[in-house]
Amino acid sequence: MTDAIAVEGLVKTFGAKRALDGLDLHVATGEVHGFLGPNGAGKSTTIRVLLGMIRADEGRATLLGGDPWREAVELHRRLAYVPGDVNLWPSLTGGEAIDLLGRLRGGLDPARVRDLVERFELDTRIKGHAYSKGNRQKVALVAALSADTELLLMDEPTSGLDPLMEALFQEVVREHAAGGRTVLLSSHILAQVEALAGRVTIIRQGRAVQSGSLDELRSLTRTAVTVAVDDPAAATAALAPVDGVHHLRPQDDHLAFEVEPDGLDGALRALAGAHVRSLVAHPPTLEDLFLREYSDELAALRVPEEQ
Amino acid sequence: MSAAPVSVRAARDRARSGSGRGSGSGSWSGTRGLLRLALRSDRWRVVVWAASVAVLMYVSVGSYDRLYPTADARAARAALIESPAATALAGPGYGLDDYTLGAMTANELALWVMIPVAIMAVLAVTRNLRAPEEDGRLELVRSQPVGRGGPIAAGLGAAVVAVLAVGGATFVLLLATSLDPAGSALMCCAVVAVGLVFAAVGAVTSQLAAQARSASGLGMAAIGVALVLRAVGDIRGPESTSVWTWLSPFGWSQATAPYTLDRWWPLVVPVVVAGALVVVAFALAARRDLGAGVLPDRAGRAHGRIGTVLGLTWRRQRTSILSWGAATVLSGAVIGLLASAVQDFVDDQPSLGDLLPPGADPVASAFALYAVFLGVLALCYAATAVGAARVDEDAGRAATLLALPVARARWLGAQVLLAATAVVVMLVVAGLVMGATAASTLGSPDQVGTLLGAATVTVPGALVVLGVAVAVLGWLPRAFAAVWAYVAYVGVMSMFGEVLPDGSDALSPYTYLPRLPADDMSWPPVVVCLLVAAALVTVGLAGFRRRDLRA
Repeated sequence: MTDAIAVEGLVKTFGAKRALDGLDLHVATGEVHGFLGPNGAGKSTTIRVLLGMIRADEGRATLLGGDPWREAVELHRRLAYVPGDVNLWPSLTGGEAIDLLGRLRGGLDPARVRDLVERFELDTRIKGHAYSKGNRQKVALVAALSADTELLLMDEPTSGLDPLMEALFQEVVREHAAGGRTVLLSSHILAQVEALAGRVTIIRQGRAVQSGSLDELRSLTRTAVTVAVDDPAAATAALAPVDGVHHLRPQDDHLAFEVEPDGLDGALRALAGAHVRSLVAHPPTLEDLFLREYSDELAALRVPEEQ
Repeated sequence: MSAAPVSVRAARDRARSGSGRGSGSGSWSGTRGLLRLALRSDRWRVVVWAASVAVLMYVSVGSYDRLYPTADARAARAALIESPAATALAGPGYGLDDYTLGAMTANELALWVMIPVAIMAVLAVTRNLRAPEEDGRLELVRSQPVGRGGPIAAGLGAAVVAVLAVGGATFVLLLATSLDPAGSALMCCAVVAVGLVFAAVGAVTSQLAAQARSASGLGMAAIGVALVLRAVGDIRGPESTSVWTWLSPFGWSQATAPYTLDRWWPLVVPVVVAGALVVVAFALAARRDLGAGVLPDRAGRAHGRIGTVLGLTWRRQRTSILSWGAATVLSGAVIGLLASAVQDFVDDQPSLGDLLPPGADPVASAFALYAVFLGVLALCYAATAVGAARVDEDAGRAATLLALPVARARWLGAQVLLAATAVVVMLVVAGLVMGATAASTLGSPDQVGTLLGAATVTVPGALVVLGVAVAVLGWLPRAFAAVWAYVAYVGVMSMFGEVLPDGSDALSPYTYLPRLPADDMSWPPVVVCLLVAAALVTVGLAGFRRRDLRA
């Protein structure tokens, strides 16, 4: 399988600030790829490089097999983009904006537009300046999702949508991706990415710090285990020497601990003779994965890690 | 980002005001912080406005002094200015029987300071009042302990400071002329009074319209109506004797008759009216929702027919094109009507032909100057058109289109093409209208062709300014203010270049273009200007293609 997006060692500086600092990003054709990072990590800068709006200082970026800067116009026929902060033309209605964006692309599927307008409950007769942020985003989403393109780039596309519309958004993106389209979804709504993306890249200060399928990433992280046993003291003694067990602590009449993937087997063996009454194991959530990469920043913000 | 200091200050102001004045939860709280913010973001604008208006006034008074040194010359000038067509562009004609330099200044120049001050006041209020509300900044500010009236008071305050700065700077520079300081003080106060009225008008239109552009457009329309009212009034009855004159803020201020009658009492009218308009603005603000206007926003079309960048640009620019076009064509018509007055003036006083720019025919010289004035109007539009492209880029609307299969050269090129076309059409139509009116007042049909040529030959100059704007946008978008400086430079040099030091007009295209119908037609400068304009546009497009988008 080829990569729809291949980025290697991308560097972009704005004055003294290194917005991208050797970023790598690979998005395989046909996958929904989550692109995670807090504000200012470089997500939008990366997407703007991929759209040919800014030029990287160093590194290579390939989009759908082409150069995003030199072949921008040809590549843009094959992709659609949803910005996070949609600014419409104040005097044009939403419907006029959707039709304009469609015509400049060379045509939208009118049935698809009607369907999306209806499902997103968008009033297309309102002028651009009178729309709320969420409604401006709906205009951009309708225009992008009714285009038949190979690739969909979205930069925090739902920050103004309510939870119902967020659920609808996820459903629509799933339908869109089911046709074999590639989606790059930049977001800091982790539940959204977890629901949609097969693979994710977590970036920090302009660099990718984690990249892989959610399963792969989970396997790199500890599982949280809560276990009820008849004799907590004996169980504690048995678990303590096992490699890969961390944060072992009594909790009421339970024991709680975290265990690395390689230590799971040993931990289960140690518990085998301890009369286990119940056992709950949580695989790490995307939020755990994400916060682990940012644990030092959490500490700097004085947020206790256990929360 | 800038909201933080405001909130801190607003809170401090509120704490300081305490319970005594009871303004803690009132509609005025936070005004001081907002005003400081407005003044801070406007400070360079104010300096530039004040300096340019004051210097222009100073230079004009000096050139009048030189051009009309004797009582005879001034009397001839008075005879010219008494004609209806000239009165429309001047004033109520106080002191025409003893036309001193002061009377000339008040009658002919004061209006041309009042107009920019009125425009500046409207823009200052809408910029600091309506624009932040439109883009959501005000929501952030209003969620702080800032009252409903705070933004209006701050917007008005910023405009008042700007108006006072212009009035004060003009007064200081007029002290360096031979004019009577008392008269200058009155005239500058009259200028300030016009600014106050139109600042209050801006505060009202900002409540009526939901967009800053519509609010300032309504304000500009009010200025236009006021100018027409005073022109009609002064033509119907000199020395402010017509009711029409008294319906216009310009009429009130001109009724003070500085340097001749030196009356202060007419200024009571603008002060009272400005106060009443401010009360109306506050009342309207209390009645409407944040972000909404009083005027209803009609539902638009659910489907659009626009499908090209050119179509989109036309839709966004048409109001602006039609307004600038109307201003240019109407100016052409007025100039044409002036033709017989100029002719009579020269016939009566042949010796005064030397006072106009050198050339075989004084009437032709006057027309040549007026034709360049039309060119300057058109090039102002061209600069605003490129400025609109820059605003679209900063707002991210350019990025929305450029993420589609739309090349950068096409996006900017379509906007440049429309601006250039608008400039050509404006000047050709204005030239035809000027020629037709001049032909009928002078009774010589060949004026149509002559003046059409005179207006058309200014096109390359406007296109050079358009090219400069595109080049700056392409290479140094952050320095776009330089384009406005260049526009002002070309405007001043075209109208006053004769009286300024030699060589100071070297960078203006109108220095080189033939001034028809006074000069003979000469093609090389026209061709060179067109080539320079084309080169600048090409360079600008190339720069825009290779630089990073700003947003």
